[in-house]
Amino acid sequence: MIPTIVVGFFNVILRYTGSFVGQRLTSPAILELQYYLYSMIFLLGFAYILKHQINVRVDFWYAHQPISRRAWIDFIGHWVALIPFCIIGMWVSFPQAMQSIRVGEQSPDGGLPRGPIKALLAISFLLLLLQAISEQIRLYAVLTNRSHLVELEAVQHVKVE
Amino acid sequence: MSLELLAIIMFAVFLVIILSGYPVAFSFAGTAIVFFLLGVIFGDLTFGRLNVLFSQWFANSVSNLTFLAIPFFVFMGAVFEKSGLAEKLLTTIGLLMGPLRGGMAVAVVFVGTLLAAATGVVAATVIVMGLLALPVMVKYNYDPKLASGVIVASGTLAQLIPPSLVLIVLAQFLPLSVGELFAGALIPGVMLAVIFAIYSVVIAYVKPEHAPAIPKAERTMTRGQLAKETVKVVVPPLFLVFAVLGSIFGGFTTASEAGVVGAVGAVILSIAYRTFSWKTIMDAARSTADITGLVLQILFCSTFFALVFNQLNGQDLITDWLLAIPGDKWGFIIAANIIVFLLGINLEFLEISFIVMPLFVPAALALGITGPLMVWFAVMMAINLNMAFISPPVGFSLFYLQSVAPPEVKTSDIHRGALPFMALQGLGLVLVMVFPQSVTWLVDQFFGDEAPIEGLIRAVI
Repeated sequence: MIPTIVVGFFNVILRYTGSFVGQRLTSPAILELQYYLYSMIFLLGFAYILKHQINVRVDFWYAHQPISRRAWIDFIGHWVALIPFCIIGMWVSFPQAMQSIRVGEQSPDGGLPRGPIKALLAISFLLLLLQAISEQIRLYAVLTNRSHLVELEAVQHVKVE
Repeated sequence: MSLELLAIIMFAVFLVIILSGYPVAFSFAGTAIVFFLLGVIFGDLTFGRLNVLFSQWFANSVSNLTFLAIPFFVFMGAVFEKSGLAEKLLTTIGLLMGPLRGGMAVAVVFVGTLLAAATGVVAATVIVMGLLALPVMVKYNYDPKLASGVIVASGTLAQLIPPSLVLIVLAQFLPLSVGELFAGALIPGVMLAVIFAIYSVVIAYVKPEHAPAIPKAERTMTRGQLAKETVKVVVPPLFLVFAVLGSIFGGFTTASEAGVVGAVGAVILSIAYRTFSWKTIMDAARSTADITGLVLQILFCSTFFALVFNQLNGQDLITDWLLAIPGDKWGFIIAANIIVFLLGINLEFLEISFIVMPLFVPAALALGITGPLMVWFAVMMAINLNMAFISPPVGFSLFYLQSVAPPEVKTSDIHRGALPFMALQGLGLVLVMVFPQSVTWLVDQFFGDEAPIEGLIRAVI
């Protein structure tokens, strides 16, 4: 399993730092640090929220389906949508992130180097892909009636307010 | 096969996929991938066109001023919820107003409004009021439908009265700043609260058995203590609200900076009330990270969707259709409202904002809806989305209340109780539509003549 717990803990720390950094809006570098920290929250969070089934579903039909049918929808959907999406994301991101690092791209207002955050964007797709594969293994176990082998996390109700 | 036809099929397929219950974000991505490939096979799309995705993602997320405000305001709301500040507020105001006829309902509206101005999230407000006010109201023979209706409606004001998550998300798709939207939504939001309060009082006098007074015996404090307690719980959050909104409207700070002030302020308040704990902060940070990740994930995927949809000329097609609606500006505005209302019955605000707002904007601009008028249009959309929150059977607020309602309150009560309040929101929507000044006046006050120019510059960039 991906160290998503670590990521979650990271988020906590980052959020904090983000809010304190915001207090000192003096230099472009510090301002950009705030952006970068904020970006890390969600870039590292993508895989994390997938693991914890935090997503927005239109579930007025889905919620009333048996577990096996729900698992089928996710299982097929992940093959057709999520996994190709991760691959495309990596395919467009990695070369551009590498390019940014190679030329030592700086942000236009004299802030921080752009390379690391672009690389993180690319890496977020890799993490998402790894988590997607782990989701597929979990769903496969459910579909083949071996759900006792995996930790089943209840499908939570959407958490956005 | 023509590209336009592909675009229409793409949209239809997307709708079918999200209705199946597959996560909305990945539905966007999946449809985009499949139809991009079809575009390559049947049209002149090439893989090179995908390269622009990276810079769009980067511009929309990492260097995006608008969405930076989300984590701060969500965090602020989560601290209010988890630290028990909201509970104190409700208990005190309830004691103060409860002994009047219909007083508990008015107290709920008042606290709902105050919390709405302090947070941008609905769950906190609805859950706290559902846990504390609903059992009391049911115990003293309030009509369960009225009681639950007033709670969901007032709690949902959090999405209209600034700072609100809905407005921040809408601002992302409009050539407007978050500050302008906040200024525009303030008066309509307070107006809705007043409408709810008047409705509660009218019901209390027309049908006294539905909203009785709560016996004074419930009151455990003397009058003096109560007065002192009221000041103690109401003033500090009020101060924070004015500090946050005032700094945005005064032009001192951007929305995200004001959000930082609010987030730190909420933590300081929780320390002052002695409800501070690291666990609270950790929980609040967790849910903040969840929501931020969720919104941004949908953004990433919908960016991809929009890219492919535009390459297939889908955007132009929709704009042409919207411009073909008879009645010029008004025809478009009414049609837009009807579309959002109908979608709102089954979809939630995130889906609607991400799916239809980008489609509306070019048509609105072409019809001359710019500057403060664009704010007016956006506020109408926000009120409309507010109705989506409490529309049975899938409104978010209804779910939140169901999860905490006492057993005497049936789900059907909650659903039926929401209907009159939806009608009141509809009334508010019509009032705003007829009187654009209710939105534009405050925008003009705070952002003056330069607002349309700034908006234009942003639209161009």
